[in-house]
Amino acid sequence: MFLAWNEIKKNKLRFMLIIGVLMLVSYLVFFLSGLANGLENMNRESVDKWKATSIILTDESDKSMSQSSMTLEDINDIDAKEIAVIGQINAIAGNGDEKTNVSIFGIYKDEFIMPTVTEGEIFSHANEVIASDSLKEEGFKLGDELHLSSSEEVLKIVGFTDHARFNAAPVLYGDLSTFQRVKFGEAAEANKDSINGIVIRTGDQSNLVQNDSLEAIEIETFIRNLPGYTEQNLTLNFMIYFLFGISAVIVAIFLYVLTVQKVSIFGVMKAQGISNRYLSRSVIAQTFILAAIGVAVGFGMALITGAFLPSAVPVAFDLVTMLIYGLVLIVVAIAGAVFSVLTIVRIDPLKAIGG
Amino acid sequence: MVVLELKQVKKTFGSGHMQVEAMKETNFQADRGELIAIIGPSGSGKSTFLTIVGGLLSPTSGDVIINGNNLTELIEKQRSKIRLKEIGFILQASNLVPFLTVANQLKLLDQVKKGNMTKKELEELYEDLGIGDLRTKYPADLSGGERQRVAIAKALYSNPSIILADEPTASLDSDRAYEVMELLKNETKNKNTTTIVVTHDIRLVGYCDKVYNMTDGMLTLQDEKSKVNQ
Repeated sequence: MFLAWNEIKKNKLRFMLIIGVLMLVSYLVFFLSGLANGLENMNRESVDKWKATSIILTDESDKSMSQSSMTLEDINDIDAKEIAVIGQINAIAGNGDEKTNVSIFGIYKDEFIMPTVTEGEIFSHANEVIASDSLKEEGFKLGDELHLSSSEEVLKIVGFTDHARFNAAPVLYGDLSTFQRVKFGEAAEANKDSINGIVIRTGDQSNLVQNDSLEAIEIETFIRNLPGYTEQNLTLNFMIYFLFGISAVIVAIFLYVLTVQKVSIFGVMKAQGISNRYLSRSVIAQTFILAAIGVAVGFGMALITGAFLPSAVPVAFDLVTMLIYGLVLIVVAIAGAVFSVLTIVRIDPLKAIGG
Repeated sequence: MVVLELKQVKKTFGSGHMQVEAMKETNFQADRGELIAIIGPSGSGKSTFLTIVGGLLSPTSGDVIINGNNLTELIEKQRSKIRLKEIGFILQASNLVPFLTVANQLKLLDQVKKGNMTKKELEELYEDLGIGDLRTKYPADLSGGERQRVAIAKALYSNPSIILADEPTASLDSDRAYEVMELLKNETKNKNTTTIVVTHDIRLVGYCDKVYNMTDGMLTLQDEKSKVNQ
């Protein structure tokens, strides 16, 4: 650490450049991780809020809730501790001024997937809904009447709830009968048993369903199969993993150049009997200092940027993920210093002193 | 007391008709408190001698013994430890780390080795060498003579039994060169170390107890103190 720190102090500008590059890479990694997390949340936060273990859908729906169609009678084929029925349909909702995509969930308000109301009240009459509070940022408010693209029904917002987006659309929670009226219109009465799925909260995941036409899907599997979810995550995660590789290469190049410039100095020190181990530790310590400062500044900048971003940008920083990525960045930077360590080990002190 | 001994040491480079005998079979001894000069023209084998004595180059045959340790029987890691413990190097272009202040050049040795000078001894060394005011300066801020004096301080700080100086006055004018040799002479006597100076500057031999001549790889004793001082 002694050599490493003294060299940094003496050559501030040179090392500021390396810190600057590491800071930019880590800033980008943190920002992308926030973006990935934010986009993930947009898809899954309402499902996460259920704290469910599985969902039962029809076998032929291929794990898609909107393509699953079953009846309330199917509950009899399910053996689980807690059960909540759900009907779901997508629509465009407008309050006269604004229009937006929504996902309408039909539920029973006494079942466990009923959301907590953060503003307003729970639905108690026909066509009343609790809306995702993300709709407030789009100009929707309590008491708004919502006209739907695919239905003659008019819904009324009586409450808001937080963390209620599904597959990137704000959710409207209403009674199951409200959902059936939206979906089937005049035929709602004839379809009063119609639902899309059954959400389950249970400890034992085996033998949940005694019906071959139904499929029990673990919640994580269900989320991974949401349209575009896995592809989007893979894309962003690949970008992050590539950035890890890129930062290792950047550090390796910078440190290698610095080490090559110091071959004669290292050679003289080796001639004096200073061990490869000490010099290598010094390079590793230097890399750690540079990477730690760069990552810390990148971390801070990402958080500051996040605080000033408009709410339309789906960035949600997860501190644990950021800390893990920060540590990975430091580790890959140290891995990048291995080339320099090998260079030091190979330096012949005899050549360095002109022998 | 013998500190350094070379027994039938020989060094050849290359093989077959390309073989060059850089150092012919050499026997050599150095005692504590001796200042020895190895003089000779460029390419005569002086540096080969110095690097073999310093454990940086292995001889083709023979033994190099420093305080009872036969360097030729040791691996590089062990030789490195011997260099750190027993040898202080003063090199032509000084041996200073450019990004360390004068004080930190010495502190670096504290990081890698115990048994260096005490604070009191260090203050005396600063005073002896006239570099007390330079301790916060970097090598680039020093003159050639100052750099060489710091290099001497660095070589002495770890209390080595042998100091190997390769052309320590090469970059200095005559006054500075004499000054450096005077310092080496004093420190050799005061600290009872053995100093071997490799040089082609015969003006410096007057400071030495023994003078060896290296010609075409052959080391011969040219003068001992009585003759040198005449």
